[in-house]
Amino acid sequence: MLEHYEMESFFDEMMLAKEQPKPHYEHFYEMLRRFSIDNLHEKNETAQLSFLRKGITFTVYNETVGTERTMPFDFVPIIIPSENWQRIEKGMKQRVKALNLFLEDIYRDQEIIKDGIIPGELVEQNPYYYREQASGLDIPYQNHIFLAGIDLIRDEHGEYRVLEDNLRNPSGLSYVFQNRYVMRQVYPELFFEHAIETLEHQLSELHQALMAYVPANSTSPDNPCAVLLTPGSYNSAYYDHVFLAQQMGIELVEGRDLLVRDDVVYMKTIRGLKRVDIIYRRIDDDFLDPDAFDPKSVLGVRGLLRAYRKGNVAIVNGIGNGVADDKAMYAYVPDMIRYYLDEEPIIPNVETYFLRNEEQRTYVLDHLDELVVKNVGASGGYDMLIGPHAGKEEIAVFREKILEKPNQYIAQPTIKLSRAPAFQKGRFYPCHVDLRVFVMSGQESHVLPGGLSRVALQEGSLVVNSSQGGGGKDTWVLKKRGNGYA
Amino acid sequence: MLSRVADSLYWMARNLERSENNARVLDVQLINMLEANDTEVLNRDWEEVLEITASLADYQVQYPNLKSEEIIHYVAFEPGNFNSLVNCMTYARENARATRDIIPEGVWEGLNRFYLELPAVRRNEFTIQEIQNFLNTITMTSMTAQGVIESTMTRGVPYSFIKIGKWLERAEKTARILNVICEKARKEKQGSVNHHYYWLAALRLVNGYDAYIKEFPPKMNAMHVLHFIIEEERFPRSIRYCVDHVMETIRKLEKGEVHHYSERLFHLLETIQQEISDFNLEAMAMEELMGFLDHFQNRCIQVSRIFSETYYLIEPIEIK
Repeated sequence: MLEHYEMESFFDEMMLAKEQPKPHYEHFYEMLRRFSIDNLHEKNETAQLSFLRKGITFTVYNETVGTERTMPFDFVPIIIPSENWQRIEKGMKQRVKALNLFLEDIYRDQEIIKDGIIPGELVEQNPYYYREQASGLDIPYQNHIFLAGIDLIRDEHGEYRVLEDNLRNPSGLSYVFQNRYVMRQVYPELFFEHAIETLEHQLSELHQALMAYVPANSTSPDNPCAVLLTPGSYNSAYYDHVFLAQQMGIELVEGRDLLVRDDVVYMKTIRGLKRVDIIYRRIDDDFLDPDAFDPKSVLGVRGLLRAYRKGNVAIVNGIGNGVADDKAMYAYVPDMIRYYLDEEPIIPNVETYFLRNEEQRTYVLDHLDELVVKNVGASGGYDMLIGPHAGKEEIAVFREKILEKPNQYIAQPTIKLSRAPAFQKGRFYPCHVDLRVFVMSGQESHVLPGGLSRVALQEGSLVVNSSQGGGGKDTWVLKKRGNGYA
Repeated sequence: MLSRVADSLYWMARNLERSENNARVLDVQLINMLEANDTEVLNRDWEEVLEITASLADYQVQYPNLKSEEIIHYVAFEPGNFNSLVNCMTYARENARATRDIIPEGVWEGLNRFYLELPAVRRNEFTIQEIQNFLNTITMTSMTAQGVIESTMTRGVPYSFIKIGKWLERAEKTARILNVICEKARKEKQGSVNHHYYWLAALRLVNGYDAYIKEFPPKMNAMHVLHFIIEEERFPRSIRYCVDHVMETIRKLEKGEVHHYSERLFHLLETIQQEISDFNLEAMAMEELMGFLDHFQNRCIQVSRIFSETYYLIEPIEIK
């Protein structure tokens, strides 16, 4: 079945050597051999169709026309042994804790800048730094990060590294559940003889975490009214919003469903106005409130920030989180961990060069064909140079960009991202993968076991983003067992 | 429940009901077309189809002649026709999409499936068979959605908004169909053989033929047919049935109480019920009957507006 599968010089999640799986994939491998290729192909079609029928889609905008697309699903799961997972879990809690302390510090006394750990201009010049709007607030549990999505990769030695922090509006949680659901429906046999962590209670954990953010002046602190604020059905992550609202049993609202009167937020119901206590917003800061941010925004709610600052409503994730998760600040997260927690980072970063630094810039400009260059403000795989895959012209374009705006870019060595087998169009082939781990925090922090494994289904491609042809995989965290993995 | 969500549920139901009704009207006409051999009669029939499912005047702005292929295309697919089948089904799906967290999964999946299969539908140079299959798919999609709603939804607020939308749409359409048929009958001389054919058409267009012949002989008696379609309280497509059910549903929604905000709505519905009770077919000339039907259609528009205002479905004008 995998006789033609070539591992080359990459770290493979599943295979140890030709036709020899790693110990934690042995059962899966055995199970796989009982299927025929035709059978797998047929199941694959069923799985893809199931996503389409259920409308589990994201919208891709091409000029003005929006097309609804499904994220392709690949059935070969990423299996993570329990001891690996425990390390990841600890590392993620540690990282999010430090990032949260950083946000709290930055919007208060800025000790970390005074102590010379982080250059002040990196904060001041950050477009997502909202000093005026977010400073000096007493928010529930001093917690700015209700839901974080941390993207992990593995290098050629199998070492996990953090690639990116998403502390604003990380999406994809619904896919974790839907991938598992479809997997159980279409490939129930593959679960035999595997003891894996279930996802059953995760949404109730999420709900509990959300409900903890009772604002200071709530009139019903024991039974707060929480809503999910979406930009609407034309947003690319709308399915994520629908799913989470539905599963947590909270109203899915748009900006036009809310209004602020005397600094209190209400939603418009068929019985009149109803007071809102907690807003899980999936709208970016800029669009939240035309009075406080972009005055042209029609998505938000006028007066929302005043209600927030008065402690009449909680908004999660917190306002101004973007200052902590851009690609430039990323490089300082290990220092934050040392500074605030006095610990060494459990999961390391990818080495990062700052192009603002002349010495580093010179090095990068000399090695553009070996490096990855990223725009610090962009996401979704846009405005990015992958040196080893780029032509001369593209490299020249980026050289100009860097010289013009050195602060706008960072560079990283091209990591040989780990690979795993994918099955599409009737055959197995190796594809690069990464893993988005979700950390939810209310009164306490909790890491969802597994997460969203994203896969670059185009052969040889390094881009896993769904907007650029990436797909998803189910992620299995094995339960701790005495012997072996049975 | 959010007002916006209530509004979407109401319009999802209306658009679905409208699609199903217009699909049936077109389907009835396609069968007529096969049977008829008189071009003049056929043209008049097409005018009626346009009157019932869209607007004849709007159509004539765009197309100078009545050609069956063009009309079929207009009623079924024309993007510029607000009430074309594809438009209504797409609105219904959009409304369902905006209320996915409220409606049963099966309703959304049915409407989504229809939408996903739309690109495969031939919109030019179609055969009659293809159009009939398309109409059949719409009917099945609508009926399946109604089945899922009936068999799985809790009889709560969202359910009520769906049902009110459906009945109001149906009542209005039934009145419109009768109006168009009456207009046609009026133009013809009394007692002509065509009368039999008109009342039969009316029953078919409102999907009441099967129910009617279980109660009356298949000889089409104008009085019987009109009574059945307007007043029969057991026939779920009659005007009276729809109005009574809107009233009953709103009463339940308000737990039997009338508050200052719902007063206008109750009053209007009671007035309409009274008007239907006072309706005396035997004493009416055709013109009066048509006046009644016109009046009733205006009443439906009024109910829709006041209903929307009562539950804040319409943005009130901001007072500064």
